[in-house]
Amino acid sequence: MQHLEATPRHLFFTGKGGVGKTSVATATAIALADGGRRVLLVSTDPASNLDEVLGVALGPSPTAISAVPGLAALNIDPEAAAHAYRERIVAPYRGVLPAAALRSIEEQLSGACTVEIAAFDEFSKLLGDPAATAEFDHVVFDTAPTGHTLRLLELPAAWTGFLTDNVGGASCLGPLAGLKAQQALYAAAQRTLTDPTATRIVLVSRAERASLREAARTAGELHALGVGDLSLVINGVFAARDLTDPIAVALAQRGVQALAEMPPELAGLPRSEVALLPFGLVGVPALRALFTGAGDMTPDLSQGPTTANVPPLDALLPELERRGHGVIMTMGKGGVGKTSVAVAIAVELARRGHPVHLTTTDPAAHVQEALGGPVAGIRVSRIDPVAETRAYADEVMRTAGAPLDPAGRALLAEDLRSPCTEEIAVFQAFARVVDEGEAGFVVIDTAPTGHTLLLLDATEAYHREVERSKGQVPEAVRALLPRLRDPEATRVLLVTLPEATPVHEAAQLQKDLDRAGIRPFAWVVNQCLTPLVVTDPVLVQRRAREAQYLGEVASLSERMVVIPWSADR
Amino acid sequence: MSVTIQVFDPAMCCATGVCGPSIDPELARISADLEWLRGQGVAVERFNLSQEPGAFAGAPLVQQALQARGVECLPLVLVDGRIVAEGTYPARETLAALAGIVVQKPVAAAKACCPPKAVGEPKCC
Repeated sequence: MQHLEATPRHLFFTGKGGVGKTSVATATAIALADGGRRVLLVSTDPASNLDEVLGVALGPSPTAISAVPGLAALNIDPEAAAHAYRERIVAPYRGVLPAAALRSIEEQLSGACTVEIAAFDEFSKLLGDPAATAEFDHVVFDTAPTGHTLRLLELPAAWTGFLTDNVGGASCLGPLAGLKAQQALYAAAQRTLTDPTATRIVLVSRAERASLREAARTAGELHALGVGDLSLVINGVFAARDLTDPIAVALAQRGVQALAEMPPELAGLPRSEVALLPFGLVGVPALRALFTGAGDMTPDLSQGPTTANVPPLDALLPELERRGHGVIMTMGKGGVGKTSVAVAIAVELARRGHPVHLTTTDPAAHVQEALGGPVAGIRVSRIDPVAETRAYADEVMRTAGAPLDPAGRALLAEDLRSPCTEEIAVFQAFARVVDEGEAGFVVIDTAPTGHTLLLLDATEAYHREVERSKGQVPEAVRALLPRLRDPEATRVLLVTLPEATPVHEAAQLQKDLDRAGIRPFAWVVNQCLTPLVVTDPVLVQRRAREAQYLGEVASLSERMVVIPWSADR
Repeated sequence: MSVTIQVFDPAMCCATGVCGPSIDPELARISADLEWLRGQGVAVERFNLSQEPGAFAGAPLVQQALQARGVECLPLVLVDGRIVAEGTYPARETLAALAGIVVQKPVAAAKACCPPKAVGEPKCC
């Protein structure tokens, strides 16, 4: 395993959703611990599934993993971090300031900005404060899917720049005078990230074109951030054992071809390959076997494949098009195929004569690529955080900035340079897109779960703020939450794969949505072997395992459709 | 003898309010006016309830106002420790007068986009 050679203190695993970051990061942490090192494994994904993979309930501080001496793990939970952050501010004033004043502080500190900063503070401590991780030889970060992670990796530089340049004396983080310690921490985190002797970033990819392209783009962006030591892990490499099985041959062929067309940004990187296993990567023994192939991993074949007749994706169309307009959102864990499902729905609506706006909230998504080329009746766009932030800043300067004197405008421009502005700009763009669903069809491919949850949390927090706001609130923003909650106005499609982690994460997402008053319209199980005939031993075992997860989905959903596995996803 | 102006803001994200879901032009305006006062040599202190609750707890008059009238009393503006405005941000002229500053030219003159107009003419901006 190349990425385990001369391992520096910090290891980051990143990549497109669903490529197996958590499996590879966890197997790496276990391998290091088995080699006698003391290792801390950290998930920065707001929708972490480290608990399920390790079979241990984790919290925000290190929990020792008893099955692996030397290994401890923790989850950075943004909501929990924000809660702790609020408590630190509010607790000293309980009984001192009136309850209403404390409540207004807590409400103010519930926004996306606070949540992001609180999680970022925790992350910076682990990276920038050696004392916080003194008892470990290595800190291994299992990160959220690419878009979210790039943002996290950019923040040390962004906040350091903002705090250095800001002369106004205040910021979203609080009065600048009190932030000197924070500033030193962010600067240290940035130094650690860009020091190749301290940090290695491992790009995890499948042997698939889309996944490799995203890894290549990430490599480019990481170079721009000054990150020096990159390496590549290809996960789930498959070799057909039964050459009479056309599915197996196609799957193997796809992998060989994708690797042969390796993007140039990746070709020069140290590379490791991990084989596709017939079993799910849950539990320490399975994770140990990921790199070694050892151990008795005979799967349970007692459960035969389901013969239940589950309808295909097209079965959803009559109900989706009934009103002639509306918002259709695909949601789910990274890598389950949200974008391809969104594209398929948009294409089918357009084919039936409806004009469609197809867009995405995922900073790392490439809808246009997935669509292949222009399609009559489909307009494609994306919510680009950089462009939205610039447009928002221009708009504010044009409106609220107009009556101010030059010094006042300079002050306003300075506040607009705060990294917080991006949150609100993206949120407003999202509100505008949802607003379009009143007049036509809008299909929204959302960012991976964690990122989307933060967007929905922000929607709720902002909704409360809007209700007591004195400022000018765009109608699209005021109506956003009620529209998302209206099952007629917004159809949420939960996309998942017939595997343990994606199904359990989608179930968790359904619960989170329920708390926000949003009910999914249907579940879409993507890349199913069940409707197909396979004979290759690895695929037969994988197909057999699907029955259990399709059964789980059936019991969780009001409507369920499946999409058969296909080599040209 | 210079005066000290203290502004106790309600709980908010940042002083200009640009981080919130809606822009309140009043917040951008008062930030600019306070910056202007600083430029005139006035000591200006500004406290955001969500970031510096300690300042609110440590100012007896502010404490009393909060106890008696709740967070609706914010923003509170104090000049040399006396409350001069409650629930609203005073205009630049008012702030200047409270600080004992003679304003050279009216603030409206800064709006260079509008030529001076007679009373009753339609406004251009």
